[in-house]
Amino acid sequence: MTTIERVEPQTEIAVAIVDTDVHPMPVSTDVLKSYAPADWIDKIWPTGNTVTPVPHFYDTPDSYKTMSMRVDATPPGGGFAGTDPEYAAKQLLIDAGVGIATLEPMCDAQLPQAEHVLKSTYNDWLADVWLDQNNAHGRWRGSISVSAQVPELAGREVERWSGHPYMAQVLMTPQTRGIPFGNPHFDPLYRAASANGFPVATHLMGQTPFELIPLYPVGNPAHWHDFFASWPLLYVSHLMSLVFDGAFDRHPDLRVVFVEGGFTWAMPVMWRMDRIWEARRNDLPHVRRRPSEYVREHVRFTTQPLEDTDVGQFREYLEMMDLGDNLMFSTDYPHWSYDSPAYAINRFPAAHRERIMRGNATKLYRLPATVKALPGEQPPA
Amino acid sequence: MDYRYHNINSNEAQWLVVATVDGNSIELHDHQKGGGPAVLKRRLVCSLDELPPGTMKLVDVGKFGVGVYNVRGSLHAIVNYCSHEGAPLCLGYVGGTNEVDPDAPDRLRRSRDGQIVRCPWHNWEFDVTTGCNVADPRRRIRTYQVDVSDGEVYLTA
Amino acid sequence: MIIDTNVQPHFRFNAEIRDYLPDAHRLRSIPDVEQQWYQAPGGDYRRDLYGEHYPGSDPETVARHLFDDAGVQYAILNPLTRGNIADYLLNSRICAAVNDWLLDRWLEPDSTGRFRGTIRVNPEDPKGAVAEIERLSAHPKLVQIGVPMQSREPYGKPMFEPIWAAAAAHGLPVAVHINGGNGVDYAPTFAGHAHTYPGYAAFMPLNYFVHLATLIVEGVFGRHPGLKFVFADGGYDILTPLMWRLDTFWLSMRDQTPWVDRYPNEYLPAHVRFCSSAFDGPTDAAQMQRWMEFSGKADLLMYGSSYPHWSTSSPEIAAAGLDAAQRDKVLWQNASELYGLAVKETAG
Repeated sequence: MTTIERVEPQTEIAVAIVDTDVHPMPVSTDVLKSYAPADWIDKIWPTGNTVTPVPHFYDTPDSYKTMSMRVDATPPGGGFAGTDPEYAAKQLLIDAGVGIATLEPMCDAQLPQAEHVLKSTYNDWLADVWLDQNNAHGRWRGSISVSAQVPELAGREVERWSGHPYMAQVLMTPQTRGIPFGNPHFDPLYRAASANGFPVATHLMGQTPFELIPLYPVGNPAHWHDFFASWPLLYVSHLMSLVFDGAFDRHPDLRVVFVEGGFTWAMPVMWRMDRIWEARRNDLPHVRRRPSEYVREHVRFTTQPLEDTDVGQFREYLEMMDLGDNLMFSTDYPHWSYDSPAYAINRFPAAHRERIMRGNATKLYRLPATVKALPGEQPPA
Repeated sequence: MDYRYHNINSNEAQWLVVATVDGNSIELHDHQKGGGPAVLKRRLVCSLDELPPGTMKLVDVGKFGVGVYNVRGSLHAIVNYCSHEGAPLCLGYVGGTNEVDPDAPDRLRRSRDGQIVRCPWHNWEFDVTTGCNVADPRRRIRTYQVDVSDGEVYLTA
Repeated sequence: MIIDTNVQPHFRFNAEIRDYLPDAHRLRSIPDVEQQWYQAPGGDYRRDLYGEHYPGSDPETVARHLFDDAGVQYAILNPLTRGNIADYLLNSRICAAVNDWLLDRWLEPDSTGRFRGTIRVNPEDPKGAVAEIERLSAHPKLVQIGVPMQSREPYGKPMFEPIWAAAAAHGLPVAVHINGGNGVDYAPTFAGHAHTYPGYAAFMPLNYFVHLATLIVEGVFGRHPGLKFVFADGGYDILTPLMWRLDTFWLSMRDQTPWVDRYPNEYLPAHVRFCSSAFDGPTDAAQMQRWMEFSGKADLLMYGSSYPHWSTSSPEIAAAGLDAAQRDKVLWQNASELYGLAVKETAG
């Protein structure tokens, strides 16, 4: 294969693609533990086993050999996919053309205090290893992981990271033990997030036991196939709660990002909410605006996993839906269900592409238009 | 405004040869789709001894490369490019696939061992001997002729 | 011509069901007709229909409203039961009582000949459900089986398959409808309980998709070519994006469930129908025609008024924005084919 002239370091290049869902992992449990308070180590890691990934109830196509990762994402120097910031930079920032990526670690613990400490530990690890030691290029952004179980402590954790140059958002599980997102339970968190300009992102965490799976209202499917096809209905439930329970009225600056839950479901859900709101406005005195307007203003969706339906129909659907300002491209690197930017860009209507691949995330996270090129990246023409 | 090229030592970059960022639009130019080399040439791959049954050799030809597989003694070649999103197909695991066995307690039976490659990303299954996707045979990947002469393996690609 | 595929008849008063229950259950408490955790403020049913008796409880009144006022040719009666209570055997007896009452009060004496009915069964009691289907399937006016939306396992799971096999063997579709009463149910949304009635009403019907996905992935549709499910609470707009996901992931997951031998969406025409609802459809009527072509919905959708629910929708509302061919399909053709109802030529 041919090569092209290399660029000198420190050259600035334009950001063409922002990736809003990347999963870093600590290279070992010992490294992660080194960021934890000493008196919590035995409580959070009682047996010394790795914290993540948490147990699988639903097997992806190859949970065993590939561990649900891209086979080619295993770092050549060893270690699990997503543990090596340099290899991630090579595959994502250089090879795939991503300008800036948002990092979203995944972790949870059963009990509230332990989960709060675990999430704080992850934040310290992320800030040090990915956002400082390996961020000379400034192209990684991070998420402030918080526990949904203790919103007061979550709010304080958000405050702790206020003003950090590379933390871009808050990250919380959607598996909230039967408390929907619009519930005032989350108000302390939303206040802190809004006050500090952090969107609140949500992403499926581990398939943890008991009601955290979560339990589907009519029972759970037996396979990942139908489980994950139905999965957006959890986000639908949360979105309906955010609207109908008045969270966006209580928190006018709140922005919510639904990660890795698809987005095409938003159109029928907006219709449905609008119709019911029109018919039952007396039941909702605290909901002052049409539901679909709240969605357009307050909600963002990341694009992965993209549906592989006929591209003409898909683009037509997106044009009907008209959420070109609300979608943000994501890869889900290094997971098996990764969406390549080149595949993705071709799926969107031309008029939406720039916003989806770059513009919407740039606006939401206040990202720069240019970044430092990495050695091996090609210069602008 | 600006062009961005990307290191083309990856399948991804073969797609995104050029992306133009121009104010409010991004255009994708000349992305390669599913293809391999334009002109076919018969090339020496290796000696047959170096490619025993159950192994694969990745040949640097064309934009993505071609994987030459020895499936239980017969030789097959497929492009190193998944027709879904452009993953390096030949980096995926090779094994068999499951079909329905109505009499088995779990209704499953393993079949076609050694000839099914699973895409290293989304695990789409492709039969190396036909180039067809197992679920939807209409989805295909490009295959190439392989022949053995004097104990040497030749690929026409 | 108009066929109304979703009408809920009610007992005149709570105790009326006891006339149809065996003596063995005379000391059992049966939930009320309108006992719901998520009752609509102001009542579940149309205000103008509350009177001396419960809304939808007088066949003559219902016939006048549907056949005379709304121009409906046939109405499919799908009564609610007050399940799912913990005692599954009592639940089954309640279903049988409702079925007997439906025959006794609505179908046998029906001089119009235009009412059709549903055999309610309790999926938690598969043996009892099969027996009830065998007991009543021969009755010419019972045109479908009825089960609740609420369940603690999705309907593709193996414990239910004997019920669907019996339904298919008798050529009877299975209608899934949100049931009345309260029982041993899980919270209605994926994120727990709704805190407002609109939050409940907006979400609850969408649970059908989990039933549908499991019926496909577990191979139930594959093993029963004649089986049809009717999702009677609407929610069919979200069918398109969620089926796209089911189709896309099939290529990755086929290996675990190889009996799914085609794209999941290919099961829809032969196996799935929906009743219309007041809360579905694009809010921009101009999109309706094109929208109906996504997922082939024009062939899946059947008009259902939900009479006497407060959200009762007229045929005009259900047909708004449709082209002529779609109109015919939705207002009567799809239902006529599904239920074997003869087309009657009407003037005008």
